[in-house]
Amino acid sequence: MSLLELKGIRKVYHQGKIEVPALRGVDLTIEEGEFTTVFGPSGSGKTTLLNMIGCLDKPSSGVITFAGRELGQLSKKDLAMLRRYNVGFVFQSYNLIPVLTAYENVEFAVRLTTKGREKELRERVMAILAAVGLEGLEARKPNELSGGQKQRVAIARALVKEPKLVLADEPSANLDSQTSTEVLEVMVKMNQELGTTFIFSTHDPQVMDYAGRMIEIRDGQISEDKRREGQYVSD
Amino acid sequence: MKFLTKIAFKNLFRHKLRTFISIIAIAFAVMIVVFARGFIVGMIDSVFADQIQYYSGHIKIVDREYQQQERLLPLNYPVDGLAGQGLNEMMDSLKGIENVEMVIPRLKFGAMVSTGNELVAMSGWGVNPIQEFQFTNIEDQLVEGRMFQPGQREVVMGTGLLAKLNHQVGDKVTILSNTAFNSLKGVTFKIVGRLASGLKLLDEIVFYLPLDQAQSWLYMDDQSTELLLVTSNRGLVDQVLPEVKELLASRDAEERYLALGYQETSDLLPYMELAKLIYNQIYIFLVLLASIVVINTMIMIVKERTKEIGMMSALGLESKNILQLFIIEGGIIGIIGSLLGALLGSIINEYFAVTGIDFSSAMAGFSSELVFNSIIYPVSSTANTVFAFILGVIVVTIACMIPARRAAKLEPTEALREI
Repeated sequence: MSLLELKGIRKVYHQGKIEVPALRGVDLTIEEGEFTTVFGPSGSGKTTLLNMIGCLDKPSSGVITFAGRELGQLSKKDLAMLRRYNVGFVFQSYNLIPVLTAYENVEFAVRLTTKGREKELRERVMAILAAVGLEGLEARKPNELSGGQKQRVAIARALVKEPKLVLADEPSANLDSQTSTEVLEVMVKMNQELGTTFIFSTHDPQVMDYAGRMIEIRDGQISEDKRREGQYVSD
Repeated sequence: MKFLTKIAFKNLFRHKLRTFISIIAIAFAVMIVVFARGFIVGMIDSVFADQIQYYSGHIKIVDREYQQQERLLPLNYPVDGLAGQGLNEMMDSLKGIENVEMVIPRLKFGAMVSTGNELVAMSGWGVNPIQEFQFTNIEDQLVEGRMFQPGQREVVMGTGLLAKLNHQVGDKVTILSNTAFNSLKGVTFKIVGRLASGLKLLDEIVFYLPLDQAQSWLYMDDQSTELLLVTSNRGLVDQVLPEVKELLASRDAEERYLALGYQETSDLLPYMELAKLIYNQIYIFLVLLASIVVINTMIMIVKERTKEIGMMSALGLESKNILQLFIIEGGIIGIIGSLLGALLGSIINEYFAVTGIDFSSAMAGFSSELVFNSIIYPVSSTANTVFAFILGVIVVTIACMIPARRAAKLEPTEALREI
């Protein structure tokens, strides 16, 4: 069953009177449980595409359907709710809240979605922190963590609410090879056990090795859509 | 909401100096509000109290002609009873009206003393000491000697008047006055006490003597120049005044006597009430002014945290939650600042409520007839402190809506240029 369907997606930005096309008619279907990477040169439209997929932005034309719901028909509040319960984000620059500890940064995401008992909530946060290798560092604030540790907090924050879709921008950029493998293994586990869909924007061959599908974007269009099983789709 | 409050509270510690400056700005404004309000209320209460105690009572009864010529203190338009029944009978009748607690006769007259080189003009107030001391705080203003006794040729004078006469407590002084028969008559009195009230009128013009002595001196037995009616509180005047007028009418005296509520006896009092209302508006603007510091801080915060707001939005925080986050943050600044300011203002008011603020030198040029105390005692009250605190919190919180709305309106992609 497809989680995402993008049909004829165009996005045009306006810089004064100049129109800058970012996406020029993208058709894409993402199935539930896919482990996908999106790659392409800088300015090719990756970020714009991921913004659309993550319900953060609306296309200038075209239709996006997320889990059967057409995003163009949803209000700002509905989109926020959709993101809250269904989408996890991992930002390249972490975007952690500096005044909160590692634990609280992760807790923030789970508190938005879960109204469980404090004990259960705590166990859930501690489990995900342990899974990304941050056991014992939960009381540290972001400025007391290394780049890799911050990235792992950001990953834990995205995964803790067990969303349908996780969007990650260069998730391994600040991780050493071993940690990167550990984190990717957590994601793979979630993908396999919970059927979580992952879409990465990355240039890291290690991440690409884990991907079941690789989509290349060039000049606002999908130039390659390759599946690891040997299927190859090309424009 | 609980978690948002937690984040908002922690955010205050990001830039401690900036938060501190915002809190101080609010605290300063609220402190000024508490003090200014206490001062204004103290001043207005003092004006009302002085006007009522020394000039009008709650209701004043005088002869209509006397009212016209009051500045001259004429003795030929006395209050001498109803239908020839005498002053005491009139006082008893007035005391019978519900809510009238006291009826106080005063005999005011012009007098003079020769110092050898010049004649010093004065105003004599013949009063019933027991009633007068009950109604006014004149006994508290005694700084030397004692108050006069009924039946004794004794006077009490203000410090300024004694200085003009070059006399002191214990001296004897011969005072001249025009009697009711228009004859000049001098009587020697012993000065038994000295007053320092802060009221120029009492300190420099008036001397007190027993009513019986004034009546006998001026040939005005069983007469006064005015009767002051005292009710349990000034709010009852509107209720009692019609009954007083009714009594005067029933005794065919409404054409002769005038009954005036305290509000009608001074042009100043209505303006004082108006001033209270105007100042309440000014306080709001004062706190608003201080809120600009908070607004500025919050605008800077929104700018600095744009990416963070985008991240929160991406996590699914609604616009209203982001609005709440910034309002809570500003609200906490408002609460701490207002609390600090309200407490400091109260402490200042408590201090000055005891010591008073002396404007004697600033008011040196004011007319002696103006019943306006040169020492203002700010009023320290819980209501005032609570008012200023609530005002501070509400105004600052509302002011924070401006930057908070700005934050809430940010589109996630604008705030977050990357995912």
